[in-house]
Amino acid sequence: MSSAYIASIINSTLRSTTPILLAALGSAICSRVGVFNVALEAQMLIGCFFSIAVNYATGSLLLAVGAGILSGALVGLVVALLQVKYKAADMVIGTSLNLLVQGGTTFLLYLLFGLRGVLNDPKLVPLYKINLPVIRDIPFLGRVLENLTILDYICYIVAALLFVWLFKTVSGFHILSVGINKAAAESLGTKATRIQMQMVVLSGALCGLGGTALSMGQVTMFTENMTSGRGFIAMAAASLGMSHPLLTIFSSLFFGLCQGIGLALQNVIKSQLTMTLPYVATIVALVLFSRRSARRQA
Amino acid sequence: MKQSHNAKNFGPRLWRSLRQPLIAVAFGLLVGALVILACGQNPIAVYIEMFNKSFFTPYYLFSTLTRATPIIICAMATGMAWRAGYINIGVEGQMVTGTFVATVCALFIPGPPILAGLLAWIAGMIAGALYALLPAVLTWKFQVSMVITSLMLNYVANYITSYFVTYPLKDTAGDGLALQTPEIHELMRLPRLSTTSTFNAGFLIAVAVMLFMVFITKRTVFGYESKMGGFNPSFARYGGTKQVKVMIITMALSGAIASIAGTAEVFGLKYRYADGMLSSTSYAWTGLMAALIADLNPVGMFFVSIFLSGLQIGGSAIQRSLGIPLEIATIIQCCITLFVSVKLIFKVRQKKPVREDVKEGGAQA
Repeated sequence: MSSAYIASIINSTLRSTTPILLAALGSAICSRVGVFNVALEAQMLIGCFFSIAVNYATGSLLLAVGAGILSGALVGLVVALLQVKYKAADMVIGTSLNLLVQGGTTFLLYLLFGLRGVLNDPKLVPLYKINLPVIRDIPFLGRVLENLTILDYICYIVAALLFVWLFKTVSGFHILSVGINKAAAESLGTKATRIQMQMVVLSGALCGLGGTALSMGQVTMFTENMTSGRGFIAMAAASLGMSHPLLTIFSSLFFGLCQGIGLALQNVIKSQLTMTLPYVATIVALVLFSRRSARRQA
Repeated sequence: MKQSHNAKNFGPRLWRSLRQPLIAVAFGLLVGALVILACGQNPIAVYIEMFNKSFFTPYYLFSTLTRATPIIICAMATGMAWRAGYINIGVEGQMVTGTFVATVCALFIPGPPILAGLLAWIAGMIAGALYALLPAVLTWKFQVSMVITSLMLNYVANYITSYFVTYPLKDTAGDGLALQTPEIHELMRLPRLSTTSTFNAGFLIAVAVMLFMVFITKRTVFGYESKMGGFNPSFARYGGTKQVKVMIITMALSGAIASIAGTAEVFGLKYRYADGMLSSTSYAWTGLMAALIADLNPVGMFFVSIFLSGLQIGGSAIQRSLGIPLEIATIIQCCITLFVSVKLIFKVRQKKPVREDVKEGGAQA
C-alpha cells in the first residue's frame, strides 16, 4: 500500500467525518441536557436541501450555509416544542419528523425544481476548496489536506468551543446541571426546560450545518434522502464519545474512517458490500464499547 | 382494562378511543390542504380526486387494499415489539431479509412446488425472526441502543440483498437492466381475488395476521406479560415475568411477521424479488406510522393502514393528473402522527411519567 493511497484514505476520512461530527455534537448536547433527540436525521436532511436550494436560487455561499443552519434549527424548534415543552414521546416525534422531512424535501424538490431524485446543476456554487500554499507542496500532508473545505476545519473548532463552553464556563455548568438532575437544577433557579429547548434548537443548527457540509462538501448537489442514516450514526458517535465534545471528535473520526475505507475498497469489492461497512462498524463499535458506558451510567 | 367488553358502554368507549385519531386526521388533512393551496390548487377538488381514486372506485379500492397488505402486516410487526417496550425500527430490514430468503428458497428448493413454497414461507419467517433477534440479543447482552442497531441493520439488509440481485441471483433471461431474481413457480403464487386487478390472497393473510395479533394481545399470558414489560418493567419483574424470554419471543415474532409482509408481496403480486421493491415503497415506515396513529391497537392499525395506503394510492393518482407530488401523502400521514402525539401529551401528564423515564433511559443506554 503506497503512501499516496493512505493519504487519500485519510483525506476522504476527514471529509466524511465533518457531517457526522457536527451532528454528533448536536446529539451530545441534547443528551447532556437529558433529551433523547431522534430527529437528527431530519435536521441534517433539511439542512442538505435548503443549503442547496438557496445556493441554486441566490448563488451566495453565505446565504446557503445560513439557510442550512436555520432550517435545521427550525426542525430543532419543532422537536423542542413537542418533545420538551409538551412532553410527547421522543420516538414518535423523532421518527415522524424524520419521515416528514424525507417526504417534504422530495416534495419540494419536485415542486420548486420539477426534479425527481437529484438536484445537480452547474449553476450551483461549490464551497471554496482550501489548498494552503506551503502545505500543498509537502508530499504526504499536502495530499491529506487537499481540497478540504472550510467546514472540514470549522467542525473541530466548534467541538473545541463546545468543550470550553460546557466545561469551563458558568453557563456551561448550568446546562450540565440540567442533565444531571433537572429537579435539583430547577430548585436552584435554573430555567431547566428553557435550557433544554435551547439546546435542542442548537442541536438542530449543528445538524443543519452538518447537512450543509454533506451537500456542499465533497460534492455540490442534493440527493433524495442523502443523509442515509448518518443521523443515527452520529447518535452512536455521541454515545461512544460519552457526549463529551472532544471525545466525540475521535468517535466521529472512527466512523469517518469506516466510510473512507468503504470508498477506497470500492475498487476491489463490489460497492453494495462496501456500503454496509459504516453501518456494521457502528453496531460493532457500540458493542465493543458498551461495557465502559454501562459502568459509567451505573 | 380493555378486555372486559360489555355492550352497555361499548359505544362511548369506542368514541373515546377514536376521538383523538379522528381529530388528528382532520388536522393532518388541514395541513395537507394548506400545502395544496400553496401549490396553487383547490384543496377540496384535489381531495375529492384523491379519495375518488383510492376508495370510491372499485378498481382503485382494490389497488388500495393490495398496497395495504404489506403495510398492515408491517404495522402488526411494529406493534408487536413496541407494545412490549422494544423500539424496533428495523422492521424494514427484517422484512427484506425474510422476503429475500423466502424467494431464494422458492427458487431453489427442489420437489413439488406447493411443498417448496410452504417451506419457503417458513424459511423466510425464520430468517426474519433471526434478523430481529440480532438487535434483541445485542440489547440484552451489551445494553446497546436497539433504536440505533435495528435501524443500522435496515441498511445492511438492503445493501446485501441488492448485491445478490445485482450479481449472483440476477435474472439474465428477461430485461437485462432490471435488478431482480427470476420468477417463482406458478403453482406457488397466491390466487387472485379479483379478475380485473392485482388484488390477491395476500390481503387474507394480512387479516389473519391481524386476528393473530388480537388473539395474542387479548387472550394469552404472553400477550399480557409482554405488555406489562412495556408498561412498567419493574412491576413485570416483580410479578415474576422472565423478561429475557419475553423479549426474545416478542422480537422473534415481530421479525417473523415482518417477513410475512414482504413474502406476501412477492408470492401474491410481483412473483420475484426486485432490488428496492420493499424499501423504495416504504411499507415498513408507513406501517410504523399506522401503528403509532392507532396507538398499537391491532384492529386500529388494520384500518389506519388501509387509510394510509389509500392516501398513497390517491397521491400517485393526483401526481399523474394534477402534477402535485405524491409525497403529499407522506406529509399528511406524518402530520397525522405528530398530531396524534399531542394526544400522548395529555396521557403522559396524567399517569405515565414513570414509563416515559424508563423508555428514555432504556433508549439511551
